[in-house]
Amino acid sequence: MSKYILRRALGLIPTMFIIVTICFFFIRLAPGGPFSSEKKIDPQILKNIQAKYHMDEPLLVQYVRYLGNVVRGDFGPSYKYKDYDVNFYIGRSLPKSLIMGTLALFIAVVMGMGAGMLSSLRQNTWVDYLSMSVAVVGISVPLFVIGPVLMYIFAIKLNILPTSGWIDEQGLKALIIPVFTLSLPYFATVARLSRASFLESLRSDYVRTARAKGLKTSVIMFKHVLKGASLPVVSYLGPAFSGIITGSIVIEQIFRIPGLGRHFVQSAFNRDYTMIMGTVIVYSLILVLMNFLVDVIYGFLDPRISYK
Amino acid sequence: MSNPVTNTTAKKSNIVLNEFDQPVKGVSLWQDAWRRLKKNHMAMFGLIMIIFYAVISLSAPILPIHSYKQQVLEHQFLPPSTRPAGELMYERQDYLIHALAKKEGRSELNAVELKKLSDLKDSIDTEKKVLLTGEEILVHHRVYLLGTDSLGRDVLARIIYGGQVSILIGLLGAITSVLIGVVLGALSGYIGGTFDSLMMRFVDIMYSLPYMLLVIIFMAIFGRAISNLFFALAIVSWLTVARVVRGQIISLKNSEYVEAARSSGAGTGRIVFRHLIPNTAGVIIVYTTLRVPSFIMLEAFLSFLGLGVQAPFASWGVLIQDGVYAMTTYPWLLWFPAAAMTLFLFSMNFLGDGLRDALDPQSKNKL
Repeated sequence: MSKYILRRALGLIPTMFIIVTICFFFIRLAPGGPFSSEKKIDPQILKNIQAKYHMDEPLLVQYVRYLGNVVRGDFGPSYKYKDYDVNFYIGRSLPKSLIMGTLALFIAVVMGMGAGMLSSLRQNTWVDYLSMSVAVVGISVPLFVIGPVLMYIFAIKLNILPTSGWIDEQGLKALIIPVFTLSLPYFATVARLSRASFLESLRSDYVRTARAKGLKTSVIMFKHVLKGASLPVVSYLGPAFSGIITGSIVIEQIFRIPGLGRHFVQSAFNRDYTMIMGTVIVYSLILVLMNFLVDVIYGFLDPRISYK
Repeated sequence: MSNPVTNTTAKKSNIVLNEFDQPVKGVSLWQDAWRRLKKNHMAMFGLIMIIFYAVISLSAPILPIHSYKQQVLEHQFLPPSTRPAGELMYERQDYLIHALAKKEGRSELNAVELKKLSDLKDSIDTEKKVLLTGEEILVHHRVYLLGTDSLGRDVLARIIYGGQVSILIGLLGAITSVLIGVVLGALSGYIGGTFDSLMMRFVDIMYSLPYMLLVIIFMAIFGRAISNLFFALAIVSWLTVARVVRGQIISLKNSEYVEAARSSGAGTGRIVFRHLIPNTAGVIIVYTTLRVPSFIMLEAFLSFLGLGVQAPFASWGVLIQDGVYAMTTYPWLLWFPAAAMTLFLFSMNFLGDGLRDALDPQSKNKL
């Protein structure tokens, strides 16, 4: 098992390397740059600026220099914001996005599996229909519709929750609508997946044996069924992570949360090369690490995997 | 067991009878699927709604609706109503003037205010405006069923027009990504070997990329044309289809009918395109159906960030974005586009799920 984990961990390095390389050249392909603006800059001044940022060197040299800096953990200065470097902006905004994403994921998995389990135990009752209807809504209605609708009802009409802002000004209440909205699509998918796989497990022979032994339903569910039935959910976690990252970009836009997503969109508009690269690298690193974690969990749950 | 032999007369000899003397008719996969689909109420509801959307979108040019880009600046933010715009304008002005007078402690309006109201009444009945189409109309007699937006444009027209754009992007995107995915997936699955492992390596790497981030960068840097949007979405979305089709092909390629085709001299291309792909048609159709809503959502997602369709064009995503910013005071700008889009996405998802159940041979016995 430890060999398997080590092999997977070593595989992370080339993946990150490929992502950094693709992003670097992809961004540089584009016409125009951070210093091209409506106002004409004197060519000599432009040259001086470019020399300061090493942008007059050949692309390959720039790439190697950048790679070296990134390995040392330095994302360089921002091309648009003065005073601070990219590390500062990421350090300030990342925790907000992380708190939101982690909470949303936790709710999606725990509540989703709970709903799936209940639905499978009470198949074709109102519990089942209710949770599956919520799931259909979560899958079909996009985040940027659910978010504003909830904001309209709870913040504008009922006036019990804040419309926007972050914990430091609004308290924990500020998190409720954004986190709920962000988790809904993944709650929906987890609920559907786990319902199907719980139903399948409940019909299997080992559950019948356990029932015949006179075990309680709760013991059967948590001790026997849960481990096997959670496999499809665990393998769905990878797509869920990337979905939550993209979702959080929209959520931060709607609820004006100063997280990484807002910096990312803003820097893409500004062509702030170092800022784009920094945010994409951080996002990718989170994504890749999470996928690694999923693989490891999968290996623990399903011992057949590690022998491959 | 009854006796089928005595009943089989010469006349009916070409009709097969089962053991209960009932005629047996062969049912093709598609007839079977259609029969099951018809029993699925949600899927049929979805199908009917999609046909409704299609009819509206296709007949939009001949429907009696206003132009989606005609601005009438006096008609800003009119609420949804079946009454003409002039009446609503007059009511709003009347209300404002009375509120102002009340604030100043007067119960009667003064001469200036009365003049203003009567002028407005006159202009409502007489004022003409030349539209973008060149025709001249009594502009304040227009009716806005779903209200107007910040530039006095008809929300109904914009929803229908935005729907055309969104649905078109959804359909074209789904078809393109499925075409690429099917061809590459099928070839990869059938040829196997090095080609297959290279392809699947490539798909794995693409999967580990945060591709929505790349799409956002792509749109922000290369410009926000619809063609760019379409291209950016199509190049990242064929991966899943390729994987699924590859799996199907691998499970089919050792079947007898493929061996028969090969032994009678059919080449790789013929086997893949004439025999294998048609047999995975069910999966492909289900995937295309389910990809349409996800494409519409992606487009709306980008438009919502300001990276999608640009003015004066509209899509559902653009309309919802406008609606979000105006919803505190003018909530109809959010409700109607959101409802139109949500209903369509629901319908597509219901139909897709229904098709999957109908075409999946394993669900055949669970009728």
